[in-house]
Amino acid sequence: MRAARVIAIIVLLAAAAAVLFANYLAPAGYEQQFREATQASPSPQHPLGTDELGRDRWARLLYGMRVSLTLAPLAALLSTLLAALVGGVAGYFGGWTERCCKLLIDFFLSVPWLFLLITVRAALPLNISPQASVTVTFVLLGLLGWSASARVICAGAKDLMNSEFVWTARATGFSGFKLIRLHLLPNLRGALFAQFWISIPVFIIAEANLGALGLGVSEPLPSLGSLLRELQDAVTLRPEPWRLLPLAVLIVVISSFQVLLNKQEVRA
Amino acid sequence: MVRFLGQAALRLAALMLMASLAGALLMRAAPGFSSDDQELNSGLSSESIQAIRHGRMDDANIPRFYVRYLAALAKGDLGTSRSLNQPVKDLLRERLPVTLWNLAFALGLGWLLGLALAMVAQTLRSRALSFLAGGLSGAFISTPAAALALVFLLLRWPPALAAALLVFPKIYRYAQNLLQQSAEMPHVLTARAKGAGPLRVLAWHIAPIALPQLIALIGVSISIGIGVLLPIEVVSDVAGIGQLAWNAAQGRDLPLLVNLTMVVTFITVCATLISDAAQRGFTRSAA
Repeated sequence: MRAARVIAIIVLLAAAAAVLFANYLAPAGYEQQFREATQASPSPQHPLGTDELGRDRWARLLYGMRVSLTLAPLAALLSTLLAALVGGVAGYFGGWTERCCKLLIDFFLSVPWLFLLITVRAALPLNISPQASVTVTFVLLGLLGWSASARVICAGAKDLMNSEFVWTARATGFSGFKLIRLHLLPNLRGALFAQFWISIPVFIIAEANLGALGLGVSEPLPSLGSLLRELQDAVTLRPEPWRLLPLAVLIVVISSFQVLLNKQEVRA
Repeated sequence: MVRFLGQAALRLAALMLMASLAGALLMRAAPGFSSDDQELNSGLSSESIQAIRHGRMDDANIPRFYVRYLAALAKGDLGTSRSLNQPVKDLLRERLPVTLWNLAFALGLGWLLGLALAMVAQTLRSRALSFLAGGLSGAFISTPAAALALVFLLLRWPPALAAALLVFPKIYRYAQNLLQQSAEMPHVLTARAKGAGPLRVLAWHIAPIALPQLIALIGVSISIGIGVLLPIEVVSDVAGIGQLAWNAAQGRDLPLLVNLTMVVTFITVCATLISDAAQRGFTRSAA
């Protein structure tokens, strides 16, 4: 398993480098069209060929990775903050506040997340600017994907509130913000970090699902999800297996996250 | 028992009401709610277009819509779909069995594959098999449902198989961790040291400990199954409730979406409650 972790770290570092240096690694911009070479096969000039609009696929893959791998952690941060807020409030106050928060958590957990996400996104406008679509997609992921993490944080906060050292701290006059800052947050840090880490691959896959259905990031901006839409052209896929590369990259990157995740879960 | 059932019924009712209200609010807030594609139909008379607009405006007042909806629901009337112009009850009767059949197939095969692989890996304790099963589950857990559905469409393989392969890794990983933890318990180590065979250890010492938690996973797996079936039904053009929900959301079809949200919530909450109750019952009888 150690070898698998080393490989996963190398893959993620390579992905991070591709994201950072996309401008230098890509032969052209993601929206630049080569009208004389539409649907071109791989060549030294276009390593993965071009799409039906003559845009370089390699460039779009690199920029697509940049969008997905930069914004998924931001969405994960938003969902972890929401989970910390709702779960923390429920665990800290207990009683009716906890019951109300748990009902809210149960509500979000009772409607299958992917069902909720796709339905909500389908109800939102699709003819918006690429920047707005990126924001909408990833904010939506963050806003709808916090409930499972909130349940974990709530249980952790509740355990801490019933622990001896918190009772001692309260007996010596610690309360409110001071108790949260000095005792709860430092002890919940591991769980919060684990939930943040777990959410990243989940959100990348969710964005890919939305993108493959045409509900993700708008054209011409690429993302790992929107690149999967090319798979819909099933008739021409057989003679052009390089079109599967975005899917292969997605699977390799997510698998690397999953390999490292096991370690994080153990640590939490 | 009566108290548990009462609490479960209350919880189910509260969650279904919350889900349907959230669906209604979402549709009302969606851009384009007040307009209808049918208004562009040049074959319709001005009176018909006025009637369509009037119908939309009726739904725009959410509290009024919701009270009327609940009153009709109490009489067994689920309303009429605006986009498909059919009673919602008929649409559900037509589409629900398709989704339930695919869900049953996906869960059955997913559980079979996941549990069988986890048990074989635990019994044989083969590193190669564990690595292979881990790699297979890792690949499917990392594949978006919509992308797998597209690949299956290309290969002309059944969409329910794609759903099964997406459910399988979650079952495998959970079951494998659970069996691994159970196998490291002192009484299991003692049984093994006394010479009990791997199958006997699995059947008599590991499975009874792991079973209650595995039962609890049934509810979660139903939720996962419904979640993955929606994009699969949309991509593969399967006439189930996933495709219906997609059409309802895109057509701003308030009555249809509210009912679908309620149905999906009902299925997942009931499954969770039943698996929780079964887990409790099993734990009590084992104690």
